[in-house]
Amino acid sequence: MSGEIFGIILRRLLVAIPLMLLVSVLVFVVLRLIPADPLSMAVPPNATKADIEAMRREMGLHLPVIQQYAIWLGQLVQGNLGKSIAFGQPVATLIGQSLPATIELAFFGALFATLIGLGGGILMFRLRGSGGEQVADVGSTLMMSIPEFLWALFLILIFGVSLNLLPFAGRLPPDVTVTNITGFLLLDCLLSGNVSAFFSALKHMLLPSLALALGTAPLIMRVLRSSLLDVIGEDYVTMARLRGIPERRVVNRHALRNALLPALSLMGVQFGFLFGGTLLVEVIYSYPGLGNMMVEAVRNTDLPIIQGAALVFALAVLTINLIVDVLYIVVNPKLRRAR
Amino acid sequence: MMDDGRSAWQRVLRSGRVLFGGGILLLLFICAAAAPLIAPFDPNEQDLLNALKGPFWTDTAADGHWLGTDNLGRDTLSRLIYGSRVALFVAFCAAVGTMLFGTTLALLAGYFGGAVDWIISRAVDLWMSFPPVVLSLILIVGFGVGLGNVILAIILVDWTRFCRVVRSEVLVIRRQNYVDAARLAGFSHLRTMVREVLPGALPLIITLMSLEMGIAVIVEAILSFVGMSVEASIPAWGVMIADARKYMYQSSWGLVLPIIAIVLTVLAFNLLGDGLRRTLDARLQQH
Repeated sequence: MSGEIFGIILRRLLVAIPLMLLVSVLVFVVLRLIPADPLSMAVPPNATKADIEAMRREMGLHLPVIQQYAIWLGQLVQGNLGKSIAFGQPVATLIGQSLPATIELAFFGALFATLIGLGGGILMFRLRGSGGEQVADVGSTLMMSIPEFLWALFLILIFGVSLNLLPFAGRLPPDVTVTNITGFLLLDCLLSGNVSAFFSALKHMLLPSLALALGTAPLIMRVLRSSLLDVIGEDYVTMARLRGIPERRVVNRHALRNALLPALSLMGVQFGFLFGGTLLVEVIYSYPGLGNMMVEAVRNTDLPIIQGAALVFALAVLTINLIVDVLYIVVNPKLRRAR
Repeated sequence: MMDDGRSAWQRVLRSGRVLFGGGILLLLFICAAAAPLIAPFDPNEQDLLNALKGPFWTDTAADGHWLGTDNLGRDTLSRLIYGSRVALFVAFCAAVGTMLFGTTLALLAGYFGGAVDWIISRAVDLWMSFPPVVLSLILIVGFGVGLGNVILAIILVDWTRFCRVVRSEVLVIRRQNYVDAARLAGFSHLRTMVREVLPGALPLIITLMSLEMGIAVIVEAILSFVGMSVEASIPAWGVMIADARKYMYQSSWGLVLPIIAIVLTVLAFNLLGDGLRRTLDARLQQH
């Protein structure tokens, strides 16, 4: 079985490589359409025409677009994403600093989304045929109409501003510092033995990851409910009932296992979206991650950062899809035995 | 055929979801169309003496400003009413554009299959490897801000949604006998596609359009929120949210009201789409 999974990963990677190349072409071409001159940000106000021309040559902006792309790609393969126009630092370094924060946020978002999605799906299924069904139906439609960036604002208003229960800016209070070991803040807190900082960081994580989860969970809820409705009429479920197994156990042990598969395959796509959703949630919570950096770069027309961040986002989505595909095969006995 | 059509419409009009969603949208449309007549103030008129006031049921209410004012004393109700123009305009144009673009490609892919299908499906894969927000942001950076570019960006991001779903529907319809019969009767490919295949996918397309309008409202709000959508002089709900966020400690109503406006609009489109799907889809009817 492990060989099979390895084969699937290999096949997916072979598809992913040309896809990433096309992604890089797309990003590069779209950003060349830009109406503003990216140089206008970089040059000092007193620069002469000759200075600007020299800078243009130094950055390779005088070359034809295809040649620019070839150079950029050659650098990219070596892990060089260029230098930020606004910060003057290598883009790869800047992304390396902000990506762990975004991965942490997306991880907790996905975790909460799974818990809420599965819990809500089972709850909605249990309510079938009762008066609560209509309420749950309308409730889930309402939840589906609220995207994560509005949840982010709602949660700030309720738990931050009104109740003053939870922090909603950054990852830590300004007076707390944690030594940077891995870049993953929660991990670093534990590694350096700073328990109070760990709990503070967890608290800071709660609202933004919950906002992400609430934007993603309703669809998982609905798919799980309808796939539970599909399997509940199957013979093996009836058999389990006839054997006198309590209804709760029938659902949790027998029906849920098979009903989980459609929900799981949906999660692959949904968690890809969730990773994109971090962008606005980070802006709203002043969370120092990749999305916040990218929006800042968009405002500054800092092309190298926009390009680099967009590529990393695409790479993240492909990776998440791959992980979920592998999980799907691990938990699906039908696919495992085929061959 | 006539009978069938009539009963489908009767079902649609009896659906609570369709009536509720459609009702909200009708109200919204009237607000947008008659904005200059309904709105009590000019949406950009500043009244600095009455800045950051609350709605009429709060202690900080100001005379005449029913839903309060923002940090520059601009009337919230008037800005909400004018904001509905941007939201509905973007929703309609983006949904029509996405539908035309996505459905055309889906028809080509599903009808011809083979290499055409392969290329279009790979393009969908490519597009789907970007989170939608990231892709729309890159496109807006490339095109520059402005309402037309926002609509174009939404079309270029969301056509995959139509293309994927409609394509699989077309694949099913393509195998029906009446499609083969049309070809045998000497219909051209184009005529077969438009006259025989497309009508079968129409209920699905109508449903998707309604859902797409809701998505377009959200994307426009997101882009306005990060300052990448309309010019500053045009009141849009996302801009109102971005402005009010800076003053949420002084007055949270300025933030809550445009959020409610967005949620209500998206909910209406979703209910309408959901209701249409349940009433128009023949397969769901049989259950």
